[in-house]
Amino acid sequence: MAMKPCKIKLLSLLAASVLSLGGCQQESKPDVWPDGTVVIEFWNGFSGPDGAAMEAIVRKFNKEHPKIQVRMQIIPWGTYYDKVTLGLAFGGAPDVFVLHANRFPEFASHNALSPIDSFAQNAGLRREAFVEKAWDAGIWKGTQYALPLDVHPLGLYYNKKLFTDAGIPGPPKTLEEFVDTAKRLTKDKDGDGKIDQWGFSFTWLHSNSYLFLNQFDTGLLTKDQKRSALASPQALQALDLMEEMIHKHKIAPTPEGNDAWMGFQTGKVAMALEGVYMKTGLDKQKDLDYAGVAVPQFGPKQAVWAGSHMMSMPRKLSPRRQEAAWTFIKYLSDNSLTWAEGGQIPVRKQLLESPEFRKMEVQFAMSKQIPYIEYEPASVSYNQVATYGDSAVEKCLNTNESCLEALKIADRRINTVLERE
Amino acid sequence: MIRKRDGLAAAVFLLPYGILFLIFVLSPVLYGFWISLHKWHILDTKIPFVGLENYRNAVQDDLFVLSLVRTALFVALTVPLGNAISLLFAVGLNQNFRGTTFYKVAFYLPVVLSVTVLVVLWRWLYSTEYGLLNYYLGRLTPALGGTKWLNDPSYAMPALALMSIWWGAGGNMLIYLAALKSVPRELHEAAELDGALPLKRFWAVTLPIIKPALLFCFVISVIASSQVFGQTLMLTNGGPADSTLTVVLYMYRQGFGQYQLGYASAVAYLLFLVVFAFTLVQFRVLMPKKG
Repeated sequence: MAMKPCKIKLLSLLAASVLSLGGCQQESKPDVWPDGTVVIEFWNGFSGPDGAAMEAIVRKFNKEHPKIQVRMQIIPWGTYYDKVTLGLAFGGAPDVFVLHANRFPEFASHNALSPIDSFAQNAGLRREAFVEKAWDAGIWKGTQYALPLDVHPLGLYYNKKLFTDAGIPGPPKTLEEFVDTAKRLTKDKDGDGKIDQWGFSFTWLHSNSYLFLNQFDTGLLTKDQKRSALASPQALQALDLMEEMIHKHKIAPTPEGNDAWMGFQTGKVAMALEGVYMKTGLDKQKDLDYAGVAVPQFGPKQAVWAGSHMMSMPRKLSPRRQEAAWTFIKYLSDNSLTWAEGGQIPVRKQLLESPEFRKMEVQFAMSKQIPYIEYEPASVSYNQVATYGDSAVEKCLNTNESCLEALKIADRRINTVLERE
Repeated sequence: MIRKRDGLAAAVFLLPYGILFLIFVLSPVLYGFWISLHKWHILDTKIPFVGLENYRNAVQDDLFVLSLVRTALFVALTVPLGNAISLLFAVGLNQNFRGTTFYKVAFYLPVVLSVTVLVVLWRWLYSTEYGLLNYYLGRLTPALGGTKWLNDPSYAMPALALMSIWWGAGGNMLIYLAALKSVPRELHEAAELDGALPLKRFWAVTLPIIKPALLFCFVISVIASSQVFGQTLMLTNGGPADSTLTVVLYMYRQGFGQYQLGYASAVAYLLFLVVFAFTLVQFRVLMPKKG
C-alpha cells in the first residue's frame, strides 16, 4: 500500500509548530515605517462576492488615510480559523481580523484578544446606537473585545416565477401555509415517477436546524450554557418537524448528496432557508426571479438563526498599531452600509433606518427579523459541541437512525465536553 | 584496527540521516508524548500538567472508540484483499509472455498519484447520478444504478477501501514480483516431476520462500492503512454519519479543529500502541521459524 505515513507527519507537524514557540514569537515588523506610515494587516474569509465589497472599502480607506495602509488578506473560511489561531499562538497574527460571533468566546476566553472598551467609548460608540444583541456578542465577562460589523439572519428565499405559475399569491408565513405552498410546488413534471421540482429543500443543515430548534424555544445548549439541550422534548419536536417535511409531507428531498442551493438557483427548488449573504450570488443568476423575506413561523416561538462578523485585534499589539487598527475598525463600522450592499445587514441603528438601506430590498426585508434573532450559544466549547449537534441532525435527516437516538448520543457527547471544561 | 575504522566510517555516513532523524522524527515524537500529558489548548499560555487524563478521556470517548473500530474495518477491508491482488498481479507478471513491462507500468501507475488526484478521480467514478460505476452497474441491473456510494453509511467505507486498494496495489506488487524472481527454478522443476499441480506448487514451494516478503508487505500495509487520512478527509470527511471516521481523522479534528493539542497527541499515542501491538502479533504469526 502506498498510503502516506500521515500520523508521523502530522505528529511532527504538530510538534514542529509547537517547537517554534520560542523561535518566532512576533516577527520584527517596524511599528511605523520611516515615512511615518503604519501598515495594518487585515485578515478575513470573504472569498465570495463579499470580498469585492470589502476590497472597495479598504481601497477607499487607504486613499483617505495616507498614514495608515491596510493590507487585506482573504483566506477562505475553511482554513481561516486554523491560520488565525496559529498566528495568535505562535506569532504572525494580523492586526485586525474578523471572527464569527459563535467563534468569539473561544478566542476571548483564551485571552487572545485586545480589549476595546476605551476605544469604543472615546469614539462615542454606544450600545444604544447598535443592535443590542450584536453589540453584546462582542463582550466577554464584562469586557468588550470585538465590534460587530453586521448581522446576517436566515431568510426565506422563494422563486417568484414558480409561485406565479402555480397561482400562489405570496410567501408563506405559517407552518400550515408553508407545507401547503411547498406541496403545490413539488412536482413530477415529466411523469417518470421522480420528483424534479421540489417545493422546499434544506440547504445548510447547521443554520437550518438551529432555526427550527430556536423556534421551538430551545437550542444546542440550555440557556445557562452548562448542559446540552438536545435531549429536551422541544429539540425532538423541532427535528421531527424537519424530518416530516422530507418523509411525511414529502416536500423536500433528503439533504445528503443534493446541492440544494444549486437547485434553488436553477429553478428546481422553489423555497430555501438561507442567509442574507447568499443574495449577491443569486443576483448573478440573470434568469432567476426571486425574492427574500422573513422566515415563516414553524414552531411556537418567533425566532430566527443569525450570525455576525465581529472585528477584533490580537492582544499583543503596540499602542501605535492598536490606534491605527482601531481607526480602521471604526471606519469599517461607519461604512457598513457599503458592506451591506454585498448581502449584509448593518448593526448601526442609524444605518438601518437610512433611505439607502431601505432600497436594498432583500436586506431590508430580512432586517425586520432583528428583534427576534438568535445567536448560537456563547460557549467556550462551541466549536466542539456544535459538531456533535450537526452530526445528530445529519443522522436524523439522512439515515434511518431515529432522531431520538441521534439526539441522545449528541446530548451525551456534548455534556461530556462541557463537564471537562 | 580495520574494524574500528569501518565503524567510524559507517557512523560518519549515517550521521547526516541520523541528525535529520533526530530533529524531524524522534524529537517531535518524544515531544508529542510530553504534550499528551498536558491540557493544552493551542491559545493557552498556561499549560497544566494532567498526567494521563487525556488518555483516560480518549478511551472513554465513544467517538474515539468508534474511530478505532472504523479504522480496523478499513484495515480488514484493504490489507488482505489488497495484498492478495498485489500477489495475484505479481504471479501473473512473473510468467513469460509479451507485454509484461506494459502491465507492470499500468498496474504501478496509480501509486504515483497524489491523494488529491486520486480523490477527485474517484469522486466522479462514485457519483450517484453521473458516475461511471453506477452507469455500468445500472446497465447490469437497474436497481444498482442508483447506489449512493459515498452518501450511504453502509457503502462509504467499502468504497473508500476499494479506492485505496486500487491506489496502492502496484506498490506491493513490485515487492512480490522481486520475491517471486528469487524462488529457485529447480525447486519448481523438482515439484513438477513429483507430480505437483501449479496450485500445489505455489502453496508448497513459492509461498514458504516468499514468506519474508509477505510479512514485510503485511506489516507495512497494516501500518499504512491504520493511518488512513487523506482519503477520508477529502472523499467523505468522516461521513456520512461518522461511518468513515478514522483515528487519524479524529485526531486531526481534535488537534486542528478544536485545537486540543494535548488530547490529539494522546490519541496519536494510543493509535501507535494499538498498531505496535498488532505488528508484534503479525511477527509472531508470519515470521519464518529459525532452524
